[in-house]
Amino acid sequence: MTRPGFVLEVDDRTPPLLVHEGLGFRLEEFPLGTRVVYPPEPIPSLRDVDEAILDALLHPVDAEPLPTLLKPGMRLTIAFDDLSLPLPTMRAPDIRGRIIEHVLELAARAGVDDVELIAANALHRRMTEGELRHIVGERVFRSFFPQGALSNFDAEDRANLAHLGVTEKGEDVEISKRAAESDLLVYVNVNLVAMDGGHKSVGIGLASYRSLRHHHNARTMVHSRSFMDHEHSAMHSSAWRMGRLIKEHVKVFQIETTLDNNVFPRPYDFLMKREWEWSIRDQASMLAMRRGLALLPQKMRHRRFHDLRSAYGVTGVNAGEVEAVHERTLRKVHQQQRVEVDGQTDVAVFGVPYLGPYNVNSWMNPILATCMGLGYYFNSYLGRPVVRPGGVAILYHPLDEGFSTLHHPSYVDFYEEVLAESTDPAVIGEKFEQQFATDPWYIHLYRTSHAYHGVHPFYMWYWAAHAMDHLGDVIWVGADRAAAARLGFRAASTLRDALEIASSTVGTSPSITYLRNPPHLLADVR
Amino acid sequence: MGFLKDTVADVRQVKDGWRWGRRPQVPRSAEPFVPPASQNVYPNDWSRTPAAMLAREVVQKVGLEPVFRSQVRVRAEGLDVLDRVAGPVIFAANHASHLDTPLILLSLPDAWRRRTAVAAAADYFFDTWWRAVGSSLVFNTMPIDRRGGSLSTTPGEVLADGWSLVIFPEGTRSKDGWMRTFRMGAAYLAVEHGVPVVPVAHRGTFAAMPKGAAWPTRGRPQLTIRYGEPLAPADGESVRDFARRVRGAVARLLDEDQTDWYSSLLRAASDATPDPAGPDVAQWRRVWESTQAPDADPGRIRAWR
Repeated sequence: MTRPGFVLEVDDRTPPLLVHEGLGFRLEEFPLGTRVVYPPEPIPSLRDVDEAILDALLHPVDAEPLPTLLKPGMRLTIAFDDLSLPLPTMRAPDIRGRIIEHVLELAARAGVDDVELIAANALHRRMTEGELRHIVGERVFRSFFPQGALSNFDAEDRANLAHLGVTEKGEDVEISKRAAESDLLVYVNVNLVAMDGGHKSVGIGLASYRSLRHHHNARTMVHSRSFMDHEHSAMHSSAWRMGRLIKEHVKVFQIETTLDNNVFPRPYDFLMKREWEWSIRDQASMLAMRRGLALLPQKMRHRRFHDLRSAYGVTGVNAGEVEAVHERTLRKVHQQQRVEVDGQTDVAVFGVPYLGPYNVNSWMNPILATCMGLGYYFNSYLGRPVVRPGGVAILYHPLDEGFSTLHHPSYVDFYEEVLAESTDPAVIGEKFEQQFATDPWYIHLYRTSHAYHGVHPFYMWYWAAHAMDHLGDVIWVGADRAAAARLGFRAASTLRDALEIASSTVGTSPSITYLRNPPHLLADVR
Repeated sequence: MGFLKDTVADVRQVKDGWRWGRRPQVPRSAEPFVPPASQNVYPNDWSRTPAAMLAREVVQKVGLEPVFRSQVRVRAEGLDVLDRVAGPVIFAANHASHLDTPLILLSLPDAWRRRTAVAAAADYFFDTWWRAVGSSLVFNTMPIDRRGGSLSTTPGEVLADGWSLVIFPEGTRSKDGWMRTFRMGAAYLAVEHGVPVVPVAHRGTFAAMPKGAAWPTRGRPQLTIRYGEPLAPADGESVRDFARRVRGAVARLLDEDQTDWYSSLLRAASDATPDPAGPDVAQWRRVWESTQAPDADPGRIRAWR
């Protein structure tokens, strides 16, 4: 029996509560009366995933069955989400690989020779061979990668991009040429949170900077309220317009999957249990892990966390027409993550964990931590933000992991040069974005190494634009003071200090709400 | 040094936060979401074997009794009633504290104590193996199901084997020291198995160690315990009526313990025994009154008042 999510009110019986902070966590004693939003427990997963996949392919929503779309001599392209989903990485076999195998079996039966697989990484870094193999599985990798038929999407390969036109709002739609010129484009996604999937899959995952700049900017992000709710998100509206234009040029067969929220396997499962239900074993595991982490150097702590693989259960597989499929997908995501919250709060508290979409097997630098806290967690709402306009966000993260020069070279310059001048998303976008987006060295690293695109740190900053516009103050607990100052925020040693600092904005007895995330939750604020 | 200091701080925080040595608590707002308690009930038939009885004798006499006597003062009255009855019997007592069980057991004559088991809530004392073993070994507890409202078959078997049984018919400890309504379990067993019920009334355990406390208060608080005449169900008497009679007997014993035997009898005859459920006043006044330790010798004339 799955228990729903709920809002706890901290009272004298409440034990200290777990708060994530980068490569570690702490036990925090919140003031009495603090509301704590807990996500629902994992919902029942599919008993027979292979049967569900086949059923989805043979009985798609608002589309013909996949076998009838597969014909000899056709060009088939299979695109799939990259390693930014799910978080943490799924334990093998990855659901995308299982689905792709089924699609390929049907394609082989139909005699389709011209098949290509493309990772829809847009401006994300190229995945390594190992990362690709983990997603698609060994059979698929061995059949396609050596021949060059399994690759990362290259958004800077001008010769292999196709400009499909402009939307009614004047937005360019430019995507992978191979995908655009295929007889059938099958997209396989992992819909971890409500912002994923739909027209965002092809319209963003296989798009170039020329296309992305129309919605990945400060103005659009400020008007995406929130981007977990595509009907009220300016970014998604733009992606939807583009998706409908793509639909006129290429037949897309969308396959979306949903997962439960079993994010932490044993012995880390105490991290997602409700604290007052911790057994002696959970308490011992927590103490052992906390003290163990305190002894380990940062590199080993990093490895310990990043080696973690989640044993997700698959809760749904839907295939067919993009919008119809996505509607079903969202129902499942909401069932797993939605929690009703009564009214807004003066202070919202978020514990930023070790992992976000852009530091898988990498380091959570201060810009990514900001994106995670003020981008993803702040925006994890339906209706209204959890915190009131002019309220305060308190985030936990040490901001001390530094930068990966392999994965995030442009972030270093963004942090040192751009943020030193301004932290206003609109200002920096106006002044610096073009320069970073077209810098030949960053483009070279993006295309040949494993670097995120030069413009990517701007996008991270834009994700946080709505929060920055909405909030009166942002305070990081336990953070490096210089890093917090560079980001334009403040740092405090403890929650008490943070509340003291916040008192100038929200008074001395503010209402406080802590989002106990991860596992993922979506606050439906009434 | 910093690491050790932080480790000590972490352990202390967990010890306090998760109430080591005490029952964990659920925040009030989370109570509607508590999953149903585990249905696991650990069997404890072994606890009435000769070896276990021997071990319990050592534990009770060498460990429990000295500690108990060092922490509280006890005055037990009415034990002579046990001379007039052959076991087994059901001891039906009011329930206000975890001290009630050792108070009853340790006030019984050794021969009775060795053959007396205590009916304990299965969901509370038998949900983990270590709690089941601990309470069985020290107190000779046996599980009863208080959720379904009916007792499992085990108590009847225990009575049939010649063991007396301590039952707290209120089902749980009182929150304010006053007596709650009696459930039917004790009366049902008595009627079903033809066993007499010995009413037992005690005072002072709530004041000494109320619900939530893990140890008696300082200063060796006074406890009193009084055994009443055995009651046998009359021919044709229903379980409900018998339960009411047992409760009345416990109430009269409480009255007797507070005043004297004869005046309590007079009040009982005129149906004027004070209601052990307590006065209908503000909660704090009920608790306030219950926290007064009983006078061990109410009839004694004091030189200095």
